[in-house]
Amino acid sequence: MKVSYNWLQNYFEEKLPEPEKVSEGVIFHSFEVEEMEKVGNDTIFDIKILPDRAHDCLSHFGIAKEISAIFRMKLKEKEYKTFEPEQTNLKIEIKSDKCLRYMGRIVRNIKVDKSPDWLKERLETIGQKSINNIVDAANFVMFDLGQPIHCFDLDKLFPRTVLENSKKDSPLILIRQAREGEKMTTLDNREVKLNPLNMVIADEKNVLALAGIKGGKIAEVTEDTKNIIIEVANFNPTNVRKTSKEVNIFTDAVKRFENDLSPEIVNDAMNDMSALVLEMCKGATLEEVVDVYTKKQEKRKLSFNIKKISKRLGLDVSIATVEDMLKRFGVLYKNTGDDFEIVVPDMRLDLKTEEDMSEEIIRILGYEKLKEKLPEINWNPKMNETYAKISWARNKLLNDGYSEVMTYSFCNKGEIEVLASASDKKFLRTNLTDGLKESLKLNQLNAPLLEMNEIKIFEIGTIFKRGGEEMHIAYGDKKNVTEVSLEEFTSPPRPSGTPPQQGGEEISPHLDKEGAGGGNFKFKMWSMFPFIARDIAVWVPEGIKNEDVEKVIKNNMGELVIRGPELFDQFKKDGKTSYAFRLVFQSYDRTLTDAEINEIMTKITNKIKEKNGWQVR
Amino acid sequence: MEKEIKKGREHPLSIVINDTVKIFTDLGFEVATGPELEDIWHNFDALNIPKDHPARDMQDTFYIKGEDGKVLRTHTSNVQIRYMENLIKSGGKPPFAIIAPGKCFRNEATDATHEMQFYQIEGLMIGEDINMVHLKGVLSHFYKKMLGDDVDLRFRPSFFPFTEPSIEFDLKFNGKWLEIGGAGMVHPNVLNNCGIDAEKYQGFAFGPGLERLMVIKYGMPDIRPAYQGDLRFNQL
Repeated sequence: MKVSYNWLQNYFEEKLPEPEKVSEGVIFHSFEVEEMEKVGNDTIFDIKILPDRAHDCLSHFGIAKEISAIFRMKLKEKEYKTFEPEQTNLKIEIKSDKCLRYMGRIVRNIKVDKSPDWLKERLETIGQKSINNIVDAANFVMFDLGQPIHCFDLDKLFPRTVLENSKKDSPLILIRQAREGEKMTTLDNREVKLNPLNMVIADEKNVLALAGIKGGKIAEVTEDTKNIIIEVANFNPTNVRKTSKEVNIFTDAVKRFENDLSPEIVNDAMNDMSALVLEMCKGATLEEVVDVYTKKQEKRKLSFNIKKISKRLGLDVSIATVEDMLKRFGVLYKNTGDDFEIVVPDMRLDLKTEEDMSEEIIRILGYEKLKEKLPEINWNPKMNETYAKISWARNKLLNDGYSEVMTYSFCNKGEIEVLASASDKKFLRTNLTDGLKESLKLNQLNAPLLEMNEIKIFEIGTIFKRGGEEMHIAYGDKKNVTEVSLEEFTSPPRPSGTPPQQGGEEISPHLDKEGAGGGNFKFKMWSMFPFIARDIAVWVPEGIKNEDVEKVIKNNMGELVIRGPELFDQFKKDGKTSYAFRLVFQSYDRTLTDAEINEIMTKITNKIKEKNGWQVR
Repeated sequence: MEKEIKKGREHPLSIVINDTVKIFTDLGFEVATGPELEDIWHNFDALNIPKDHPARDMQDTFYIKGEDGKVLRTHTSNVQIRYMENLIKSGGKPPFAIIAPGKCFRNEATDATHEMQFYQIEGLMIGEDINMVHLKGVLSHFYKKMLGDDVDLRFRPSFFPFTEPSIEFDLKFNGKWLEIGGAGMVHPNVLNNCGIDAEKYQGFAFGPGLERLMVIKYGMPDIRPAYQGDLRFNQL
């Protein structure tokens, strides 16, 4: 979530620490800050809100509360203007158990206009487009408090009169499940077909909005809108998430509702929104709020014991430390020695157990307070047979000259199919042989690049058949490939070698040989371009060493040789010696041409010919 | 020319796995293994992952066609559940310490740092007083053995349904801080789900990916060549 530094500053009288410091504080005590960017005279943090805090921290207010606790900075008291609301005829009926609270308010004589500069700037710095003052105000409150808000054009609701008072309209808002096959057109002109699992906001005739997801076209607020209904509500997270996926609409509102908001924030959001609308539309009149709150969120208490928390953390936490932490968050508590009882803040739906409190304490204290200590544990670990067999089989095959490959568990055909794969390989392999054959083909083509006399490879891995999975071993060379189960490969009579044992001396040669840090080994990525291999055979007078010839080749072969010169043949005849060398050429940035390699070979040939008695065959 | 058989070349990931196992078994951990094709209980439910948790979505998890409730495991944490269930069934009890190296799967597009299949090493130690300081000690010991004595370890707050507190840990290697993996103190619900009394026992779990360690240790640019069956990858 994008969070503005200047916006956060509004929550504090005191000046915030520098953006870098704020970011560091948030990273080590709350959430990862993925990016920090200067925008004009502001700094924008991209904060990765953890899923268990998305219900209270997908907002500037949420982050401000964290910063307040981290840096011991007092949050500013909020001041609300008081206004005398008019009586209202708005009726709200919740006909679904998926809506915990619905608050509506009619505001008349508004003027839809462009937003004041401060509001435009606030939204634009966090990457939101300014639309008009009403929509912007709703968005502002959402990014400020985390509570989504929607506005309807009151005059576009189905006209409704009640008998006793036929002159005055009496608008009705219904919160209900959709009917099978019911349709609505969203604000962005998408027609959506609904079913009874979807919750909607409706008047007597039409669907006005997809609850918590997207408003509808019918009651859209436009330039001509004069009167609005402000909606601030609490919808069931699972219902919002499921419907959102079904209709494939993901909005900032969905992101918040699906994380289970506290219905208690609804009131603040309505107050803020009302104040904003009044401030921007002089002459507007507010009506009373209609608040249908089906089940009030109960005040929860949570008990914990400091000794137990200290035991979990491995750190002695004092009463004073805990009191300090609770005060920083403004949490009400009482304690008898090590036993604490707190009143869980309404917004902190995540705090449920003593373990949750252990996290609160240590993250605010800072994880760097934890020392490092190896545990002592009194038990007898056993050997794992599967792992021991795999180790034994691997060592045996390595010793027999086979090199190890790993290939994909997925393939084009098989018996077990995965659903909704992002790849075209939707099946699990039923054997290792197919993958090994592919690998053999690839490696044989690359043979000139590999320091191997012949290509022999193996893979140990799981195969999947209808009856279940099994660990297999496949090994082979260009002539044939053998595949057996791990059981079969390792059961007596074994081909040779000692019985499987875990932790044999050969298991970890690299660790001991090279020591920590992996020695000086540095992986070298190969070129993705084709290579060209060339041989050169030279007659030299007897007594000339192969190194002498090699030197001439090396001095003239240039930069493109990635392997060689490698002596692969030598013999003597009539007082002369023949040496044959192989050179492999490859570039990291282009495909080499025969012509340029010919040129290099000619250069080498000419240099060799210059030597007395040397001859290229 | 030469008749003697030259030893074959090991896959770098195998080397990393074996080295990892060696370091942990030296510390008294036992190796544990389990299935790659797993049921929802062992992969999600028992690990305290709520029914409608985003991690269960199709775009993250491979579900199996025609086999309701089966997935390709998304982590080797399934092995810790199976280990604990078996321990209790066979009349055992903590303390114990296990590591589970193994292949896992995620339904995601492949790029330089992500693969549909990857190796994870899950570690779990449970006793009466196994705490977060021990977690830090064990991880620090492991990465120092793996990457050299001058690496530094630090914790940051994080969230996983199966641990509380949950942390993300970073390593300072060659002067740079790198994100490595997640860990934490096992959530009491996980222990209770396996029949272990969470009032009496506690402990830690960690589950870093091994490709990442391989890439860091050997200075590799990309993880993709690991599964292409290309022997040019076996450079050690």
